[in-house]
Amino acid sequence: MALAFILSPLLVIAAGGMLLMLAEAFAKPGRRGGLALGATMIFAAGFAFSIGVWMYGVEDVPERAMLAPWLQIDRFTIFFDAVLCLGGALAALLAGGYLPEHELERGEFYVLLLFATVGAMMLAAAGDVLIVFLGLETMSIGAYAITAFRRTSPRSAEGALKYFLLGAFAAALLLYGFALLYGATGHTDLAGIGEAVKKGGEKTPMMMIALVLVLVGLLFKVSAVPFHMWTPDAYEGAPTPATTYMAAVVKAGGFAMLLRVLLTCFGDKASMSWAAGWPPALAWIAVITMTVANLVAGQQESVKRMLAYSSIAHAGYLLVGVVACMHSPSQGVSSVLFYLLTYTVSTAGAFGALIYCGSRGKEAVTYEDLAGIGRRHPPAALAFSLFLISLAGLPPTAGFFGKWFVFRAAIDSGFYALTVVAFLNSVIGVYYYLRVMVFMYMREPAAGAPVATPMRSGYVTAALLLSAILVILLGIVPNQSLDMAIKAASVFGG
Amino acid sequence: MASKTSPTTPSSNPNGRPSWVAPTFFVLALLIVVVALTQLLGASSDKDRASFSAANAAIGAIVPVLAAFVVGALIPRGQAWNVRFPLAVMSALFAIFVMRMWPSASTAIATGEGAATSPESTTLLSWLIGLPLAGAVAILFLPRQTPRLLKGTTFFVMIGTLCATLPLMRADMGRTYHFNQDIVWIERFGIHYHVAVDGISLWLVILTAFIVPIAAYVSFGSINTRIKDWCFALLLLEAAMIGAFVSLDLFLFYVFWELMLIPMYVMIGVWGGTNRIKASLKFFLYTMAGSMLMLAAILYLAYTYGKVTGGPTSFDYFELQRVVLPRNVQIWLFAGFAASFLIKVPMFPVHTWLPDAHTEAPTAGSIILAAVMLKMGTYGYLRFCMGLFPEASSEFAATLAGVAVLGGILYGGFCAWRQDDVKRLVAYSSVAHLGYVMLGLFAATQSSLEGAVLQMVNHGISTGALFLLVGVIYDRRHTRMLDDFGGLAKVMPVYAALFVIATMASVGLPGTNGFTGEFLIITGTFVSNKLGHVNGIQAVGAALGVIIAALYMLTAVQKMFFGPITRDENKHLKDINAREILAVAPLIIAIFVIGLAPNILLSQMRDAVARTISDVNSRIEANPAPSYYRGPIKVVARRPDAPKPLAAPASAANPTNAAP
Repeated sequence: MALAFILSPLLVIAAGGMLLMLAEAFAKPGRRGGLALGATMIFAAGFAFSIGVWMYGVEDVPERAMLAPWLQIDRFTIFFDAVLCLGGALAALLAGGYLPEHELERGEFYVLLLFATVGAMMLAAAGDVLIVFLGLETMSIGAYAITAFRRTSPRSAEGALKYFLLGAFAAALLLYGFALLYGATGHTDLAGIGEAVKKGGEKTPMMMIALVLVLVGLLFKVSAVPFHMWTPDAYEGAPTPATTYMAAVVKAGGFAMLLRVLLTCFGDKASMSWAAGWPPALAWIAVITMTVANLVAGQQESVKRMLAYSSIAHAGYLLVGVVACMHSPSQGVSSVLFYLLTYTVSTAGAFGALIYCGSRGKEAVTYEDLAGIGRRHPPAALAFSLFLISLAGLPPTAGFFGKWFVFRAAIDSGFYALTVVAFLNSVIGVYYYLRVMVFMYMREPAAGAPVATPMRSGYVTAALLLSAILVILLGIVPNQSLDMAIKAASVFGG
Repeated sequence: MASKTSPTTPSSNPNGRPSWVAPTFFVLALLIVVVALTQLLGASSDKDRASFSAANAAIGAIVPVLAAFVVGALIPRGQAWNVRFPLAVMSALFAIFVMRMWPSASTAIATGEGAATSPESTTLLSWLIGLPLAGAVAILFLPRQTPRLLKGTTFFVMIGTLCATLPLMRADMGRTYHFNQDIVWIERFGIHYHVAVDGISLWLVILTAFIVPIAAYVSFGSINTRIKDWCFALLLLEAAMIGAFVSLDLFLFYVFWELMLIPMYVMIGVWGGTNRIKASLKFFLYTMAGSMLMLAAILYLAYTYGKVTGGPTSFDYFELQRVVLPRNVQIWLFAGFAASFLIKVPMFPVHTWLPDAHTEAPTAGSIILAAVMLKMGTYGYLRFCMGLFPEASSEFAATLAGVAVLGGILYGGFCAWRQDDVKRLVAYSSVAHLGYVMLGLFAATQSSLEGAVLQMVNHGISTGALFLLVGVIYDRRHTRMLDDFGGLAKVMPVYAALFVIATMASVGLPGTNGFTGEFLIITGTFVSNKLGHVNGIQAVGAALGVIIAALYMLTAVQKMFFGPITRDENKHLKDINAREILAVAPLIIAIFVIGLAPNILLSQMRDAVARTISDVNSRIEANPAPSYYRGPIKVVARRPDAPKPLAAPASAANPTNAAP
């Protein structure tokens, strides 16, 4: 029973996905409106179970050993479960408004969301490279499918194909890396690999190649530069709820995998050192990611594409937190966890506001589409501004605390130059976030241009309200969630 | 009276009293009488005439107020009672203010009423921040179609905030901090909600609460679109500005510091001029770049504190003051903070956002920007750069003072001289005036610092008045080019008189507020030992700046108001109307009040300034130049004047680390 209990978030989402599939199959074609609500409720149940497991505590459950080494249920996993369910719930709510509005309503979308989330949760819990791969593919296939969900749109198909081909390629690299690791150590469980790497001392060339391949595979999933090429196209082509899902859940799943694999397999002193380990590589990739993404994001004419690049830039900030694990894993990981939480609510809110600003046949995509929203639809503009301010990292919003925590971890670990680069990058970031506000508040639509009319949907409104409340709450009283992030990170020790 | 029948058109009177300056001097004379009377009565009540003292005090309290009331009612000839009565009330209020704040009187009142013994309110400052904030939230729920309700609510909340500053004035400031409120906010990181005022921030808080309603009031005449957004932005801005002036936790300070940006950005960008979007973005990005560097420095400082004490990190100003950093670290942190503050001031060469922002901003935005937001930079430098990094700030004082004199006072002055746009001219004059303030801060002597703080307030009042008056003419003519005006004194005599008064205050004519501040700064600079033996030259340069100020301001006044009327459009301009008179009147009265009785401000800030200087000097004496302190990083005892720590987690946990 206890076993089922600590696995309950995962099981709830998986079982819920199957139930929803049945419900979808038997529902009358005209009456699929409830599916979004159902999916949201399942995500909410997953979230509630995660919180329940968190409160109960997983350390003292002896059945945990039965799952090892394949699945590791610890506070890190549970924290991720909660964040993933939150992101999934927001995406499902947004889909509930978006899909009918743009005549894409098909029940598969919600089912795919749920199954992909199961994959992401497996990634967070993975204790074995096979589970990592299984989770990764479960998550990715769902993501590929929802990217291609707009079947009539060539951009959607192009984005999905790009995503699929590159994703398959990266998965292959990752798998190859795992294979080499198995060859070098004789283990497939992460802890065993870690032990062997630690004992091995000096790295063999095989080990180094394995490390590089694994890193490439991991960085692809979190879309760090230069492995980001698929991101803008896939994000832009996908229906916006799918984009939200990719930006929030898939990214969080990717970081869960990154942290788990790096810190368990390559968490020894030598691999974590500046001279012979992964930190310098990640630090450089973080710098390149932030800088390139921010500079390119400033050049975009499409808000959706800008938000795609902004999500890449945020991956760069998150990588700063990962690099900070070099000196104190617990602090680095906790900052990444908390950042992911704040990033999930702000980015889901931003995409949600973008969805809200468009209606059938007039989806808001470019800056021009948003001109004059501030005057015509003040609540939409206010909400959008709030999420953008949070993404830009200005107080008193969630994004500010997230950024602050990550940079603090980096400064505490002595990465001053890296932190200053990250700070200056935030300034560039402010430029393009503010540009949206410029169009919303300070420009009027060009004469004759179609005027954006917000959609009416209780689902989208609910999603926006939920994220707005969370953005403000996390920005003013983050105590509870900060403590949870810190506790969750303590599984990685010192 | 004839004025009753034609209240709105006093200027249509053909023999339009060109000597509108004369009544103003009448105010001046009467204020002297008021002040003298107050002092006389205050002094006599100190004596032993116990039986008469109560009655005497009552008379002493009532007579000057009544006198001011009568004078205020009589001064605006040709105006209706809807102008006279508010003016009378305002002058009476100012008379009360002067009497209350008069140095000898205030102590007498305090001891007489036993106010000194009653404990200070700890929530007062939170009310000051919370009222506008709550007002802003309330505005969100008011209907958009009711501009009168929105404006009324906004103004009411602002006046309420101003009234809430009254208890601040009653306190006898001295060397310490008052109205201290310290609540743990985020325990894990040692972040507190810690607010308090001392004699320095006191005046800036009052200035903010004083200027913002004026700016709001004047804007209600000229801003007609999106009233709801406007009111929201104004109230949010006020809360953030007051919060930044009173917060003593660096994290909290940063939160308010950033919170100020968005409303101001929106104000410039939405209600500004033709190039508003570019100007607002420039404003935002400049400030943001600086504040990011400051955030990095704050994080490093807090982290260092935690490492050295071995306890939790702290963002508390007084705790971080204890950290003594070696020179090589300190100069970087100083640079991070200074970059942020000097951009905000702004100082050459990062001042370029200011003219753009001012030119494009709506009148109220310009007033608030010039009067309060620029002071954020000078205040921040005084409080945080000098308070946290005394060695580095005194090391770079000489260099930065050179920049302040050459790049601020002189270059800013010459730039102002060459401007065709009045608003741009006033903006550049702000660069020059803030150069004085910064020079006073760098010189760091008692009189120069007092002068600097006084000048912060002065600049807020006189430049606020100038921007307000420029806005008045802009609303009528929709141009601000000097060449488009000329001979306006003939058609707008009242306006011309008020503009000349504000100009004189800005130039620093004795009797107006500008004189006192600049004089104190220049004398303080002359005797300073922080400026690397060129203090004399700096003082001379600053004095030259006064002449340049006269040059550019008077040239502008001459071009605008005197000579023949060259444009036909200018021949039938309406003189300043009742709303505008009422908006500018408090500023004009304040110009004279501070100009004639600067001691009411100086006496409250004196000890706080002395504390700041002694804090800096004691650190420098302990770690003498040129290397100051070589390391390792250590913490010293908490400053004696600092308020008591909340739970003393850090200082009590590590008594061993506290070096003598």
